[in-house]
Amino acid sequence: MAVPAAIDIRDLHKLYGGKAAVDGLTLCVPQGCFFGFLGPNGAGKTTTIKILMGLARPTSGTIELLGYRMPADAIEIRKQIGLVPDESLLFDHLTGGEFIEFAARVYGLDRAKAQSRAAELLDLFELDDAPRKLIAEYSKGMRKRVAMAAALIHRPKLFLMDEPFEGVDAVGARLMKDILLDQVRHGATIFLTSHVLEVVERLCDRVAIIHEGRLVTESSMEDLRMGAESLEDAFVRAVGVGRGDTLEWLSK
Amino acid sequence: MPVAAAILWAQWRTLRNHRGRGGSVWATVVSAIWYGIWGLAAVALGRIVSEGGNTTLIHNVLPAGFLMVLLYWQVIPLLLATTSASLELRKLRVYPIPESQLFWIEALLRVTAGLEMILLLGGVSLGALLNPRLPKWASLAVLAYILFNLLFAIGMRDLMARMLARKRVREASFLLFVLCATLPQLLMTRRPPGAFRLLAAFGGEFWPGWPWAAAANLMQGVQAPFAALVLSLWIAGAALFSRWQFSRTLTFDADAAAASSNPSAPMAGWRERFYRLPSLLLPDPLGILIEKEFRFLLRSSRFRLVFLMGFTFGLLIWLPMALGYGGNRFGPMERLGGLPFLARNYLTVVSVYSLLLLSETCFWNVFGFDRSAAQFYFLAPVSFTRVLIAKNLTSLFFGAAEISMITLVCASLGLPMTSMKLAEAFSVAAIMSLFLLSAGNLQSIRHARGVNPANSFRSGAAGRFQAMLLLVYPLMFSPIALAYLARYAFDSEAALFLVLALDAILGAMIYRLALQSAVESAENMKEEMVAALSAADGPIAA
Repeated sequence: MAVPAAIDIRDLHKLYGGKAAVDGLTLCVPQGCFFGFLGPNGAGKTTTIKILMGLARPTSGTIELLGYRMPADAIEIRKQIGLVPDESLLFDHLTGGEFIEFAARVYGLDRAKAQSRAAELLDLFELDDAPRKLIAEYSKGMRKRVAMAAALIHRPKLFLMDEPFEGVDAVGARLMKDILLDQVRHGATIFLTSHVLEVVERLCDRVAIIHEGRLVTESSMEDLRMGAESLEDAFVRAVGVGRGDTLEWLSK
Repeated sequence: MPVAAAILWAQWRTLRNHRGRGGSVWATVVSAIWYGIWGLAAVALGRIVSEGGNTTLIHNVLPAGFLMVLLYWQVIPLLLATTSASLELRKLRVYPIPESQLFWIEALLRVTAGLEMILLLGGVSLGALLNPRLPKWASLAVLAYILFNLLFAIGMRDLMARMLARKRVREASFLLFVLCATLPQLLMTRRPPGAFRLLAAFGGEFWPGWPWAAAANLMQGVQAPFAALVLSLWIAGAALFSRWQFSRTLTFDADAAAASSNPSAPMAGWRERFYRLPSLLLPDPLGILIEKEFRFLLRSSRFRLVFLMGFTFGLLIWLPMALGYGGNRFGPMERLGGLPFLARNYLTVVSVYSLLLLSETCFWNVFGFDRSAAQFYFLAPVSFTRVLIAKNLTSLFFGAAEISMITLVCASLGLPMTSMKLAEAFSVAAIMSLFLLSAGNLQSIRHARGVNPANSFRSGAAGRFQAMLLLVYPLMFSPIALAYLARYAFDSEAALFLVLALDAILGAMIYRLALQSAVESAENMKEEMVAALSAADGPIAA
C-alpha cells in the first residue's frame, strides 16, 4: 500500500514580474520522510517553501499538505505544521522564552501548558542560560534554535524548514539533528532546504534538486549518489558545473 | 479570544522589554502633552454640547464638524504618511489565526490612528448625554459615527498600502488620491460657479445621505428613523469595505507586486548617469558614499513617497490656509501683499513643510533605512565624519531638489514669485536644514532605529509625530522667527536677510559641534547602534 503524501505539489508556477521563480514544479513527499529540497542560490527553494507556508500565493498549480488544500484550508494546515522560517519572522524584542510561549498560545495551548513547555524547550535547546536576553541580542545560531523550539511546541505532523542549520554551531546542529530524527521516528515528516550538503546526506531519505525553478531530479539518497558518488558530486552534476576559471589579477 | 490575548500579551512584553532597556521617556511625555491638549478640547466641546441653550449652534455646526472629523481621521495619517499601530501581518500569517480574529484585533489597533478624533467625539458624546434638549440616543449616534470612521479608515489604509506596494502604479495612484483628498480645499479656495452648492452638499446642508449629516441628524433627533437607516447603511458599507480590503491585504503578495521587468534601456541609462553624478564631481570616498546614498534613497518607497508628497500634497494642503476661505476669487495671488503671513510666505512655508516631511528619511534616522550599511561603515577604512558628511550632503541635495520642484510647480500654476521670495525660501530652508542636520546626526546615532525602507507608510502614530513637530521644531524655528521679527520691526527685507545670515553662521557653528559630537558618539556607541538597527518589531508595528 502506497504511503500517503505529506506534501503533494502539482504543476506549481510562481511568476515575479514575468520571470518564473518556480516553473512547473511537481513533487510528492511521503509521510514520515526526511526530505531534502536542494538547489543553487536563486533556484526557487525559498519561494517554494514560502508558498507551502502560505506566505506567497502561487501563480498556478495545486498544493496539498497532509491531505488539506492550500490556501483553502490554510488554518487547518497551519495547526498541524511546524515552521522554521526566515529569521525575520521572529519578534526581536521578546526573550526566547516569551517568543516560544507566544507561539504555543497562538497554537491553542493554554497558558500554563505553554509556559511549562516553553521552559522545557529552552532547557532542551540550551537557551536557558540567559533568560532575560532578547532575541535581538541572540546569535544567528541561537535564533535558529528558538525558531525550532517554537516549531516543536505543538507537536506538529509536518515540519517546513528553510535553512535550519545556517549559522548553528556543531553542538547545536547535533542537538537539532537528533531532535528532528526523533520526530521522524515518531511519524513526523520533515521538508528542509539546506546548502550544507553533508547534513542533508546524513539526515535525508529522499532528495529533490531544483534549478531555475524546475525540478531537475527527485529520488532516494542512494539512487542519487549512484553508489560511491557523494551528494555534492551528484548535486554539481545535476545543476551543471561552475565555470572554474579565475581572474588574472586575483591569482597573481 | 485567546489568540488576541496572546498577541496583546506579546506586544505588551515587547514594549516592556524595549522601554526597560533605555527606551524613551520622551515619547511618553510628548504623547501625554499631545493627547492632553486634545483631551482639554474634548472637555470644552462636551461643555458646549451639554448646554441646552446651544441647540441652534449645534444644529449649524455639527454636520460640518463631523465632516472635519472624517477628513482629519482619514487624511491626516496620509498627510504625515503614517498608519499608526497595525498588526505585523507578515509575521502573524504563518500561524493558525482565523482571519476574522485578525481583523478585529486590527480594528482595535486602528483606534490609535484616530485617537484625537475619538477624544473629541467622546467629549461630544458625553455632552450630548447631559443635554436635556437632545434625544436619549444622541450619544449612541456619536458612537456609531466613531465606528463608521474606524472601519472606513481600516479599508482606506489597506487599500493605500497595497496601491503603494505596486511598483509601477504607486506614485501615480498616490498622486491621484492626493488630488481627490485636497479637492474640497481647492473648491473652497477657487470658488468656481456651483462650488458653494457642491460644498454645501458635502457639508450635509442639502443632502442628508452623507454619513456626517446622518450622524448629526440622528444626534439631534431630526428625521431620526431615516438618519438611523442611512448611518446604519454607511456603517455596513464601511464594514464590508474594510473586511474586503483586509482580506485582500492578508493574501497580498508584496514581492510579486514589487517585482517588475527591467526598465527600458534609455531610462536605465539616464538613471545610471544620475547615480554616477556625485562620483564625477567629488573624489572618493565621498563621491562613492554619496552615490550609494542616491541609489539607496531613490530605491526606497518611503523616501520616494515623502519626496513626492512635498511638492504635491504639501503644496495643495497649504493653499487654502494661505489664501483664506473668505477672500476674493482665487486669481494669480495679486493680493499677496494684503494677505496674512501664510500667503505672503507661501513658498517658504511649503518648502519648510517639505523638509519636515523629508526629515525622517534624511535627517532624524539616517542609518535606520539602510541598517546593514551601518555595520559596514564601522568596518570600512573611512572616517565616520566622511560618512555623516556624505549623508548630510545627500540630504541637502534632495532638500534643494524638493524646493526646486515646489518652485517649478508654483510657477506652472501661475503663482507669482519674485527673486526675493525665491532667495528667502531657499535661505530659510538651508538654515533649517543646518539645524535639522545638527540635531539629526546626534539623534540618528543615539536613537538609531531600524526601519523597513520598502514600507511606504511609517507605522508610528500620527499624533506622536505631530506632537514632536509641536514641541521640537519651535526651538529650531526660533532663530528664523527672529529674522521675520526683524523684518516686521524694521519693515525691511534687508533686516530679514541680515538676521538670516547671522542664523546661517550660528547654524554652521552648531552643525560643526554637533558633527564632532555625533562622530564621538558613534565611536562610543557603535555596539548599541548596530544592535538597535538589527532589531525588528513585535507582533504589532507601532
